[in-house]
Amino acid sequence: MNLSDSKMKLGIAGILCGVVAAALALLGNPANMAFCIACFIRDTAGAMGMHQAEVVQYARPEIVGLVVGAFIISVATKEYRSTAGSSPMIRFILGVCIMIGALIFLGCPLRMVIRMSAGDLNAWVALIGFILGIATGVFALKNGFSLGRAYATQKINGAVLPAITVGILLVATCTTLMKVSEAGPGSMHAPVIASLIAGLIFGALAQKSRMCFAGSIRDVILMKNFDLFSVIAGLFVVLLVFNVATGRFVAGFNTPGVIAHSNHLWNILGMYTVGLAATLAGGCPLRQLILAGQGSSDAAVTVVGMFVGAALCHNFGLASSGTSVNPETKELVAGAVTPAGKVACIICIVVCLIIAFTCKRENTK
Amino acid sequence: MRKKELKLVVTFHTTSDAMAMEKMCKANGTPGRIIPVPREISAGCGLAWCAALDERDVIASVMKRAGIEEEAMHECMV
Repeated sequence: MNLSDSKMKLGIAGILCGVVAAALALLGNPANMAFCIACFIRDTAGAMGMHQAEVVQYARPEIVGLVVGAFIISVATKEYRSTAGSSPMIRFILGVCIMIGALIFLGCPLRMVIRMSAGDLNAWVALIGFILGIATGVFALKNGFSLGRAYATQKINGAVLPAITVGILLVATCTTLMKVSEAGPGSMHAPVIASLIAGLIFGALAQKSRMCFAGSIRDVILMKNFDLFSVIAGLFVVLLVFNVATGRFVAGFNTPGVIAHSNHLWNILGMYTVGLAATLAGGCPLRQLILAGQGSSDAAVTVVGMFVGAALCHNFGLASSGTSVNPETKELVAGAVTPAGKVACIICIVVCLIIAFTCKRENTK
Repeated sequence: MRKKELKLVVTFHTTSDAMAMEKMCKANGTPGRIIPVPREISAGCGLAWCAALDERDVIASVMKRAGIEEEAMHECMV
């Protein structure tokens, strides 16, 4: 079936992805984190010992599934293109910035939508920042921003990241080398096979529908085109129905247990960073994994940047903490953004703005 | 809903080439509009220039003058 020739079918692709995310939540993934690209990359980085935050270490098969799912479907439908060469180190930096912004807010754009569908008002506040970040990126695009074109490269080059992710899965399932959280979000997960299958299905659907959280808003701002937005709308609606039907919908700001904080300014600035960096990099964290799966080494470098960014966030104390309940006193402990995290977020915004307004199309000629 | 017609769709190597094309065409009054690259052409998510089929020569000469290189010129239903 062609999933992309009408808004209705694109919406159905979004609905199917929403069903996959809901199934993962039911099968054991953390609340409101059913399928978060930033969180799952961070967990996988932790499993490999890139950071030592003991509560967020688990090699998430969903990440492997997304990349491999996109790889398989693109090879099967002859859409696999091994390309590279579009300012890779700038893309690496953008990957780092995306991850730092995401872990200030506590979630990637996919998780932002999942949190929005569960009534988390912090995510609705963060959406303002995400839209502003994309709008800034669109402004840069209109002013001639470019990272230069990609070129065809050795076919096997584009298969390296999918192969590495398969390697991570094999090491995680066949050896005891990977770290595994015994408590916290990293200890909460669906069975490996379910996570892998969910990732494969989500990856294939995202490749066919070109699902992209940053791209959808970019297209609305730039061309008033709602094709990509209809995928996100489908995903949101099905998750909203799921959350209401299963009693998971709790409207509010300081909701313990959802791993979120109510520091509005930093929710906005965190997602502003993600929106801006993702627009400059040509896609949100999910889209980067999918593009990497279908052969783009430029996107693969962005993914590597996200892994390094996740490690930096936890090694340097940049990641925010979520609102929780003290188990002894039963008091609400508000989540917080760390001072180092605030500084890092501002640096990321400045770096992105420098990239946005100095990398011009004419410089690449 | 707008009826789909066979159109000329020009794709580019980068999004900024497409934006430059839009700027150039608007300045010169060249017909056409910017659209997301149709899914049947590419699995990428860039932008393309869409115009009537009989504008091919005009579009090609505008691009040549502006130094904008196309990736490909397609004819497809948009």
